[in-house]
Amino acid sequence: MKLLEIIEVLRTKKVKRIAYGVLILLIIVDFIIPRHEIHFFGDEIRGFWSLFGFIACVLIIVVSKWIGSRGIMQDEHYYDDGDI
Amino acid sequence: MSIIMMMEIFSLDFIHPSAFYLIGGLLIPVLKGRVRQGYMLLMALLAFFAVLSMPHGTYGIYEFLSWELTFCSVDKLSKVFAYIFTIMGVIGVIYSMHVKNDGEQLAAFYYVGGSLGVTLAGDFLSFFLFWELMAFSSVFLVWYRKSNSSVSTGFRYLLWHVAGGLILFAGIILQYSISGDLTVQFLPFHGWWPTDLQSLASFLILIGLIVNAAVPPFGAWLPDAYPAATVTGAVFMSAFTTKTAVYALIRICAGSEILIVLGVVMAIYGVVYAVLENDARRLLAYHIISQVGYMVAGVGLGTQMAINGVVAHAFCHILYKSLLFMGTGSVLYVTGTAKLTELGGLYKTMPRTMIYTIIGGLSISAFPLFSGFVSKSITVAAFGEAHLTWAFLALMLASAGTFLHTGLKVPYFIWFGKDQGIKAKEPPWNMELAMIIGSLFCIGLGVFYKPLYALLPYPVHFEPYTAYHTWETLQVLLFTQLGFFLLLKKLWCKNTISLDTDWFPRKCAKAVIWFANKPLVSLEYNIIGEAYEFIIQKPIMRVAVYLKKIDTVVVDGTINGVGRLAMAWSRKIKEAQSGQIQHYAMLMVAGVIAVIIIVLVLP
Repeated sequence: MKLLEIIEVLRTKKVKRIAYGVLILLIIVDFIIPRHEIHFFGDEIRGFWSLFGFIACVLIIVVSKWIGSRGIMQDEHYYDDGDI
Repeated sequence: MSIIMMMEIFSLDFIHPSAFYLIGGLLIPVLKGRVRQGYMLLMALLAFFAVLSMPHGTYGIYEFLSWELTFCSVDKLSKVFAYIFTIMGVIGVIYSMHVKNDGEQLAAFYYVGGSLGVTLAGDFLSFFLFWELMAFSSVFLVWYRKSNSSVSTGFRYLLWHVAGGLILFAGIILQYSISGDLTVQFLPFHGWWPTDLQSLASFLILIGLIVNAAVPPFGAWLPDAYPAATVTGAVFMSAFTTKTAVYALIRICAGSEILIVLGVVMAIYGVVYAVLENDARRLLAYHIISQVGYMVAGVGLGTQMAINGVVAHAFCHILYKSLLFMGTGSVLYVTGTAKLTELGGLYKTMPRTMIYTIIGGLSISAFPLFSGFVSKSITVAAFGEAHLTWAFLALMLASAGTFLHTGLKVPYFIWFGKDQGIKAKEPPWNMELAMIIGSLFCIGLGVFYKPLYALLPYPVHFEPYTAYHTWETLQVLLFTQLGFFLLLKKLWCKNTISLDTDWFPRKCAKAVIWFANKPLVSLEYNIIGEAYEFIIQKPIMRVAVYLKKIDTVVVDGTINGVGRLAMAWSRKIKEAQSGQIQHYAMLMVAGVIAVIIIVLVLP
């Protein structure tokens, strides 16, 4: 199984280190990339979208979990008693 | 071309693509095995070619009572939707070829046929007829799952759609009474609340349409029903109902500002619920809501660029969402579960299914070189150009959430995560073939997007692959990925469900039934029942005994003969009255079809 070997390689520590390198590269290149479609102030800040992506991810997880814990998340059989 | 030959044989000017699904589908129960598979594929392909050969214009007009029904109103907008619906029909048919249940196949056929009918309808009456046909045929895709909860889930699904359909119908009737015109036309609703009769008509139509587009608070039927549908049924359902509604919204309600707010709320709402969700198919269902949110918001903005974006996004969305439902459906088919808590480590046994699903995940996340990138960015950029910064940022936020769940969470917890040691294998060849076709479309559209842009209703002045835009997207997505792996511990699912807006009707219904069962019944039984017996029943009985004497002697002889005949008849009728609403619904659908056929065939 060739495919399986490729997947196994992708799961190694080395690939993880390369991935971190890519992230740093993303920010560095953002300093030199030309900006021609400026919609609002964020488009002019270098690395803005990197920060945006990270904060968006954290916010979505934390806020959603908080909302979920306020009674939205219920046991699987919540509706089961004498369901219609 | 076989289509042109057929048209010559039957001396027709055109063939409505729905005909292949609605009339062609009738042969499905008669055929068996390979012949049936080939026949179904042939019908789906012919429907696609029928769309291809349809000229622009309005035709297929039939008199029905005192109305004119227009079955074909074709322009660029209806045609691009008819294309994607028929392409999806082909993919869906291939994916569901192995299904032996002919009822399920037929239901899917009528569902596709109904949605094509809506897309091409030129008058509100035939529009509404096909709209209802979609609801009544797709509910069978839930019922045929035949699980413990299928019946009740199906009924809830049907109730939502019947309620939405009635509101839509009320709007149509009101519109007709105001203008005397039943043409499907542009009736945008402005403001937040109806102020006069005309805006009330637009408002009612808008509400009717957004129920089918799963806009909160009317969207709870979607995550309720789709994960409860059959493996193949969910693939069909993910494609047609909401996108038909998006089409109708563009045609009728473009520029209704209220839709901007609703759409943005929807995009975020779907993402929030996806965090909490454990069932992979329900998670994907919430992401349908999120993605349709982009479309609804774009329709609300209503600029040419936004509408182009909505159409392109609907086109790509149908392909990648069905691919995702096919991937998770394959996992459900092979392992018997789609719950993330029960899955994990499948990359060893189902690696190819994993790759198709990830392709779908990258497409929905709008990764460069995948289909979502060339479509979603048009709508988002339209918001940027309109300087609606709050909407623009909210949609970018939802993009990060989309990648977080569909691109990362679903593949991670199914194929990696905790190895549950499940014995699995790749799905049957036809399911895999459908996923390969879907994957090729997703990558193909991401790379060669010009042909898609050429199909859009307005001229496109947009280039997705600019350096900055590509870089902006990569930054958002890859840093989302960083966040995902850092917070992975928080994302392990629990075996829960999440309460949605359908909590209110479901709990209210329980209260009503309790009221009917307990206080109402005891009132009826103890008080009214007793009184009835004393005041009415006893005197009547006395008279009856007297009458019976006359009856036995005089009347019986004559009646007995007639009675036997009636008995025989009623026995026949009794068989049809099974008491199961599914059967009645089937009869109603058959009735609708009969009307359509009568109207189409009789000049």
